[in-house]
Amino acid sequence: MNESVVQLRGIAKTYHIGRDITVNALRGVDLDVRAGEFLAIMGPSGSGKSTLMNVLGCLDVADAGTYVLAGENVGKLSDDQLAAIRNKHVGFVFQTFNLLSRLNAIENVELPLIYGGDRHARRQRALAALEQVGLGDRIHHRPSELSGGQQQRVAIARALLNDPSMILADEPTGNLDSRSSAEILAIFQRLNETGKTVVMVTHEPDVAAHCKRIVRMRDGIVARDELVPHPRRAEDEIAAGIGAAE
Amino acid sequence: MKLYDSFRSALQSLVVNKLRSALTMLGVIIGVAAVIAMVSVGNGASASVQATILNLGSNLVTVQPQFGNDQGLKGAGTQAQNLTLDDMRSIQNQLGASIAATEAEQGTGRWQVTAAGQNWNTQVTGVTEDYPTVRDWKLDSGEFFTTSDLNLNAQVAILGTTTAQNLFGDGDAVGQTIQLRQVFGGDRGGGRARILNFRVVSDTMDATTSDVNNILLQRHNISDPASADFTVTNQNDTLAALSSVTGTFTLLLGAIGGISLLVGGIGIMNIMLVSVNERTREIGIRKAVGARRGDILTQFLIEAVALTGLGGVLGILLGWAITEVVHRIPQAANLPLLITSGTVIIAVGVSVVIGIVFGLYPAMRAARLHPIEALRYE
Repeated sequence: MNESVVQLRGIAKTYHIGRDITVNALRGVDLDVRAGEFLAIMGPSGSGKSTLMNVLGCLDVADAGTYVLAGENVGKLSDDQLAAIRNKHVGFVFQTFNLLSRLNAIENVELPLIYGGDRHARRQRALAALEQVGLGDRIHHRPSELSGGQQQRVAIARALLNDPSMILADEPTGNLDSRSSAEILAIFQRLNETGKTVVMVTHEPDVAAHCKRIVRMRDGIVARDELVPHPRRAEDEIAAGIGAAE
Repeated sequence: MKLYDSFRSALQSLVVNKLRSALTMLGVIIGVAAVIAMVSVGNGASASVQATILNLGSNLVTVQPQFGNDQGLKGAGTQAQNLTLDDMRSIQNQLGASIAATEAEQGTGRWQVTAAGQNWNTQVTGVTEDYPTVRDWKLDSGEFFTTSDLNLNAQVAILGTTTAQNLFGDGDAVGQTIQLRQVFGGDRGGGRARILNFRVVSDTMDATTSDVNNILLQRHNISDPASADFTVTNQNDTLAALSSVTGTFTLLLGAIGGISLLVGGIGIMNIMLVSVNERTREIGIRKAVGARRGDILTQFLIEAVALTGLGGVLGILLGWAITEVVHRIPQAANLPLLITSGTVIIAVGVSVVIGIVFGLYPAMRAARLHPIEALRYE
């Protein structure tokens, strides 16, 4: 087996809403993600999958338990240290793309390298990442001049830039039509084939069916953890002219 | 994050909101222009006052009786003859070559002057022979009286142009006889001595001031300089006093400009807070991809400083333009308006500091945002 990228042990997280209400979003999650996995995290709303995603992405810190990401214990780091970890180890892809509207495609992709890494290779690496997602000819377009699928591809290129330990995608196809969704999933599958670790949060079974492993959350714990025997191939679906999520 | 990138993204966001940036900057521009224009007017007034004083002669030492207590009698000094002609002769003898000229004056009030059936009311002053030298006077005709005239109590007088004109018309006044009659009662030498002032001309003004002081203390048998019955002042003292007045004046004008600069700074803070609010999501994205607190802080701080710094430079140009316009106003043509490099440096420095001070709070709010909440912000 490959080495662990993510190792969660007994992760718990409680939110306080107002003075009296407490929400136990995570109640002891154990999870291992190994290098080269393509994992879907599923679950109904309120199951804790968003909180888990925030903890995985080092956007939030768990109240209890240990989290080792790429060999580093990130449980008790300061905000700035977490920022550095995000920069180095996590590539985010969001449902709403989250590109900066006043920057063009290549400037958006360059963003992680502004906050860490090699400054001089920036442009070349951003260009290479955009070519990898098939947008080498749109580098000077602004987000508003790109389709949703293209914007999400820019976001993926941005996530790839610092060669992170894990790509963390939060409902990446949620705002896309079937065709674009299939294209995005195809990109993830291609990246996964080259060895990238991809963790995707989704509530759509059709999307999750493209992953190699599905983790189902319920009431703040991992309810089921199963391998997908035959993941669907997004490329084949595109070739057959069928949308992925139909 | 490299400073270059901070600058780039700061300038980008300023360019995107051109109108807003310009209007925000306007507050700073007007503030800086006001400071520059006000202070340059103040400096100009100050310079013009100084020039006037220096025109009076920069080498004059004045000795005046000290009006005050005379053995418990308040105001008695006004009746005492503290300074005598002998005092002046003594100063002349002891200081000798180090002084250029010495002169004593005695104001005697207004007199009615009569000659050739005409009369004129004028001020009469008793003076000594060096008066023209000390006052830098030139006679139109005739000659000034001499030391021997003085010693002999010769009955001679010098007439001013106006008086001569009124008494003798266009005729020659030299050699004519006049009669003096004092108006408003008064006392014609009837016991009450008049006040005598000295004026000493010396190129070593400060040294002479202290020499004169010592001579008079000794002659008047006064051991404590604080209870001296005379004061010795020189042009430097007057200049210092007036400089402090004009300095306060300049400061006041500067403060008025400073208030508008402060208002401009509050405008910066306001717009930066709006900007941070609007760009909450951007801050979230930047934090998600690895921006540290310091990176976000720097970015917004540079935006604020870029606004005020650029506003400062434009404000200096506007302030300069204002002083040029003021120069064109005839009434102010003689007023030298001075924009000193000091004023410019202070104006730019202050506007940058205002950018930091008023930009810091919004930038800190931006830096402290939690990435998850910032990303969720709609």
